[in-house]
Amino acid sequence: MDSIILRLISEKDRYGYEISKEISERTSDRFHIKEATLYAVFQRLHRKELIESYYGSITHGSKRKYYRITPLGRAYLHEIAKEWQETKDIIDLFMEGL
Amino acid sequence: MKTLKQHVDALFKNIPDSEEKETIKQEILENLEEKVQDLMGQGKEEEDAINKAIIEFGDIDEIKQELLQKTIPVKKNMSKINLGFSIWGSLLIISLFVFANFYYTPDEIWFVYPTFVVLWWPLSMFFYWLRTK
Repeated sequence: MDSIILRLISEKDRYGYEISKEISERTSDRFHIKEATLYAVFQRLHRKELIESYYGSITHGSKRKYYRITPLGRAYLHEIAKEWQETKDIIDLFMEGL
Repeated sequence: MKTLKQHVDALFKNIPDSEEKETIKQEILENLEEKVQDLMGQGKEEEDAINKAIIEFGDIDEIKQELLQKTIPVKKNMSKINLGFSIWGSLLIISLFVFANFYYTPDEIWFVYPTFVVLWWPLSMFFYWLRTK
């Protein structure tokens, strides 16, 4: 979950609802993230200093809170991607031909 | 939009007040409002849209856990400070005993005994610090 959200933030700075919408769109509505999960992940990533937040310009009468990936976040995402590839390869070895 | 605010307030009722709680509440409320606007744009009634947004929100416990975790690092720091304080404090007390020993009764070495007593202080603080690490 963390890596999906980190990936989306790494593409460009985004805000909460934009991310949940993007996830639904990219998975063609096969997967929806619950808001509670989303904000818990924001808190966690922020605490680990993988993302930082700032307030954007005023839209709909209030300021939107945007998230931006930090250099540490980028390095972490890279690491996660490598690990995931490795895991996938190994699982594939056993699941092939079933 | 009033019921959305009431719902978010109700969700956060059991979480201890903090600045972070207020900002995250505000953020969630704004994003939910936008979601409701979106759903209404797709032809839903306002009431339906609000209900859908609320149902899809999920379990608040996840956020609660993350908010509560923030308090742990503060405790960790305290035990480290306690350990440092106990080390410096006991060093001062021990050096006082050493001074008194050699200044007044240089023929008899007795400062070791109170030294062992005082050493319990940093020792207990050390294990307390080790446990919180």
